[in-house]
Amino acid sequence: MGILTSPSAPARPAGDPNVAALLTWFVPGAGHVYLGRTTFAILAFLVVEGIYILGLKLSGGMGFQFLQEELRGALAPALAPEAGNLGGLLYQMKVFNYGGPNPTAFPATVHLGVMLTAASGVLNALLMSQAHFDARLPRGVRSMPGSPAFAALLTWLLPGAGHLYQGRKLRGALVFVTIVGLVALGTVLAEGSNLSRERHYYYWGGQFLAGLPGLVMELVHGHAPLAKHVVYGEAGLVLASVGGLLNILAMLDVYRWGELVWPGWVAQKEAERESAAAAQEAVA
Amino acid sequence: MKDLGTHVVLFLVISAAIVLMSAFFSETGDRAALRSFPKRLVYFLGGCALLTALMLAAEATLAGVS
Repeated sequence: MGILTSPSAPARPAGDPNVAALLTWFVPGAGHVYLGRTTFAILAFLVVEGIYILGLKLSGGMGFQFLQEELRGALAPALAPEAGNLGGLLYQMKVFNYGGPNPTAFPATVHLGVMLTAASGVLNALLMSQAHFDARLPRGVRSMPGSPAFAALLTWLLPGAGHLYQGRKLRGALVFVTIVGLVALGTVLAEGSNLSRERHYYYWGGQFLAGLPGLVMELVHGHAPLAKHVVYGEAGLVLASVGGLLNILAMLDVYRWGELVWPGWVAQKEAERESAAAAQEAVA
Repeated sequence: MKDLGTHVVLFLVISAAIVLMSAFFSETGDRAALRSFPKRLVYFLGGCALLTALMLAAEATLAGVS
């Protein structure tokens, strides 16, 4: 938002940010095709949809069969992280839905598969924010790896990493301790029973937003059979899930910070372009 | 209620986390965010206490089950 309102920013943005974001939601990369950035769009499409297709292969498309029968409504998957990649989600619902009439065994790689489809949804949501940002840049100015969406991606992968990347060490350390601490405390209290999408479908979606710490814990200690009642199981589940949800605030914080510092970068690029053009004119 | 102390401690932990992250979200500067933290925490806990009182009152009256 700051870029368009900045007095130093030129009036002609690359495109309509809402159109770019919506196109990306349906088809990863489509927003960047609209903005004329075809190479980036193709790469983004291959990565985001490639992860989704790989996830479907590994899970046999059975991810939504984790939902109990009474919860299997038409809109139930809309609360899953996969909803960030609407095209992928609709494809999965169309082809696999909730499975056939006869029960089938889950493949051994189902948990890794559903992690990948969920990751594709989060990645596409970040790509949407990148498209929204790129659309507001002046025509001809390309964003670089230090864009707000990149910092948000780092924050999703490891809470606090985006802040560190932006040089905000104290905030990064506090965000890391708070979010990873909540997920770890929740996992200890729930004795690892929270680390299973099959067992806690929607809570898992919240926890997933804490990124790699929860996923690594799940890959190492997850899906253990429950032999006894876990006294603080529900409390641990809530703590871990809220930890993941709070990481959304951290991602929004780094995104906003990135937007605040970018007008200066854009103005500098514009000045460089103008001085280069002036130098060329002088030579001519 | 069994283990009331443990639940209160867990509630305080999660409250502190929620308030800290919302302070970071609201304030751009670290110092301003940390300075506003105690006041925000008191408001948050006060609001939760009020909500609890309302729910208990509703449970005892309108939604009472005998």
